[in-house]
Amino acid sequence: MKLKICHLYPDVLNLYGDGGNIRCLTQRLRWRGIDSEVVKMPIGSGESLVDCDLVFIGGGQDFEQQVLLDDLHRGRDRELRAAVEDGMTVLAICGGYQMLGNYYETHDGQRCDFIGALDLYTVGAKKRMIGNYLFRCDESLGGMTVVGFENHSGKTRLGSGVAPLGTVIRGFGNNGEDGTEGARYKNVFGCYCHGPMLPKNPAFADLLLSTALARRYGAAELAPLDDALERMAHDQMVKRLGGDV
Amino acid sequence: MNIRAFFAILLCKLLRGISRVLHRGGTAMPGRWALKLCPNLLEILARDVKTVAITGTNGKTTSARMIEQAFAQQGLSYFANRSGANLISGITTEFVMNSSLGGKCRKEYAVIECDEAAAVRVFGQLKPRVIVVTNLFRDQLDRYGEVTHTLENIRSGISGAPEAVLCLNADCSLTASLADDLPNRAVFFGINQGAVPSGEKSELSDASHCIRCKHEYSYDYITYGHLGGFRCPHCGYRRHDPEYAVTDVTAQTAEGSSIILSVHGKRYLAEVNLPALYNVYNAAGAVAAVSEMGLATESAVAAVGSFKCGFGRMEQFALGAGGTKMMLVKNPAGCNQVIEFLENIKEKFVLVVCLNDRGADGTDISWIWDANFEGLTKMAGALEKVIVSGDRAADMAVRIKYAGVKAEFIEIERDYETLVRWIEGQDRPVFLMPTYTAMLELRETVIRHCGGDEFWV
Repeated sequence: MKLKICHLYPDVLNLYGDGGNIRCLTQRLRWRGIDSEVVKMPIGSGESLVDCDLVFIGGGQDFEQQVLLDDLHRGRDRELRAAVEDGMTVLAICGGYQMLGNYYETHDGQRCDFIGALDLYTVGAKKRMIGNYLFRCDESLGGMTVVGFENHSGKTRLGSGVAPLGTVIRGFGNNGEDGTEGARYKNVFGCYCHGPMLPKNPAFADLLLSTALARRYGAAELAPLDDALERMAHDQMVKRLGGDV
Repeated sequence: MNIRAFFAILLCKLLRGISRVLHRGGTAMPGRWALKLCPNLLEILARDVKTVAITGTNGKTTSARMIEQAFAQQGLSYFANRSGANLISGITTEFVMNSSLGGKCRKEYAVIECDEAAAVRVFGQLKPRVIVVTNLFRDQLDRYGEVTHTLENIRSGISGAPEAVLCLNADCSLTASLADDLPNRAVFFGINQGAVPSGEKSELSDASHCIRCKHEYSYDYITYGHLGGFRCPHCGYRRHDPEYAVTDVTAQTAEGSSIILSVHGKRYLAEVNLPALYNVYNAAGAVAAVSEMGLATESAVAAVGSFKCGFGRMEQFALGAGGTKMMLVKNPAGCNQVIEFLENIKEKFVLVVCLNDRGADGTDISWIWDANFEGLTKMAGALEKVIVSGDRAADMAVRIKYAGVKAEFIEIERDYETLVRWIEGQDRPVFLMPTYTAMLELRETVIRHCGGDEFWV
């Protein structure tokens, strides 16, 4: 068995250690004897997403945003929309998550069109939402808790076409107002969770892997791993934030 | 001098005296209250002092110690904010403590390191003769925001001190851009092509796209991170030829580097008595600063080989039979340099990594995933085990596990007292890699066991 993982825009969407998610996915596959191949698709890459199993998109700096938009509008947007509809497993964090939505509007009203793969939009706020946070995933995902670090000024609102990824227990989440965090549509998981997200939420990492493996190979039983350190990191942050382990 | 300033100085001295009696550092708090009483107090006190200010992401403290050593060797009357209190409050405290109640500074010179976010408030009051900007890397994004934002902070700070001569890192495309739209006279320091083997272009560059036109840079060579011979193929923005140029690094050992420094075309042989390439940059910047203050370049060259840094920067302690070295890490760029340094150690050693996430460390610890801990797997045979500690010890353990170090080589020890006792019994050299607040606590514990300086001395 083998998974082909695409790291989309590693050259500009590479903030806050989000690349650690890729490291986490490939190591957890390797420890189970499953091969993986990571394909980096930076700005200007003509490579196709079609035969990939899992796409990861991280967060980035405002400074490079225009470079990114130009590239998206050269056809990558259409390709991403098609991949999402086709059931591609996608993890998108922060800027990458916003980018999958319909648009971003700055707090002074300037609108910037994104790719519209997910029915959501983001509006810039003056105050940044920063800090360690905790949310609980929807019951359909087993109700697991996720810890991480959020750092965003955009407030994301979900349309009717997508479900929230989870409910905020501590922190801000999508917008600090409606108690939702992230979005889920088909096999796309988007949220604000830096940290990076996957290493200290190993159950979530395995959820992505089994989703991608199931799509490629029909069914996927993942052998259990010794996650004592990962769970310790997870549980300590849950405790610090006053949640129940 | 006005009456507000008089009372502000009096208050500051009193508060400082009290905190010393109570054995608290008291480096920032007295100045904070004094500034409340007299907001331009720093300007009043700094007026007649010839100041060198050092800012930038990495290397501020080390550069300041090098410059200070040159001042000391020349017998100048000077003071420095040595305890790392580098915000406007701490700097003000330091000026007050070196001034009379009448507001007259007793010293002729000052060596002041300044936090890059504080530069915007400090430089306009401080009016330094020379400002060194060491480099700009991503650092504590939760506090500073994007690196271009930090750059703007520094730019805006410098605009309050148009007379200052800027000493800028020529190899850092962000730092060097300060020369272009400020009226200040600027000189550059850097490491020339061929002085060291070129590194590889990092995917995690903190400045991959042109600060002027946002096109991707081309590089003639890379020293580390985004530093090196950059040029923008689109708008032509490129590295300036530095007046203070390292033309050759002839030797690099665990104790230091031998370099050839060309200053306005004249060649100097310098021994830098701290290891790793980032200290070669610090040395070149320090020589530039001292020379631009109008002092002899020779004294600066001698100083970089004889200064003592301490305070957690490659600081050596007589703890354990193999000795203990403390190497402060704050961000991916500095951390990578320390890991690279460890890769060159051939004898068996133990590594201790202490990760805290308090205000001064940055509350977001995700940066450890941007640092190249994968380098630890290249130390097979030398690295005996890794001990992790600090508030976020478990996160550090996870990072090292995913780097490829087997979990059985990773140990968690949260208690510094137990940790230091254990090190005492070791015959291997031990390397401590703490973040800032972990360094303060760990250093205190180490010093209790084997001696050393208290931090405000």
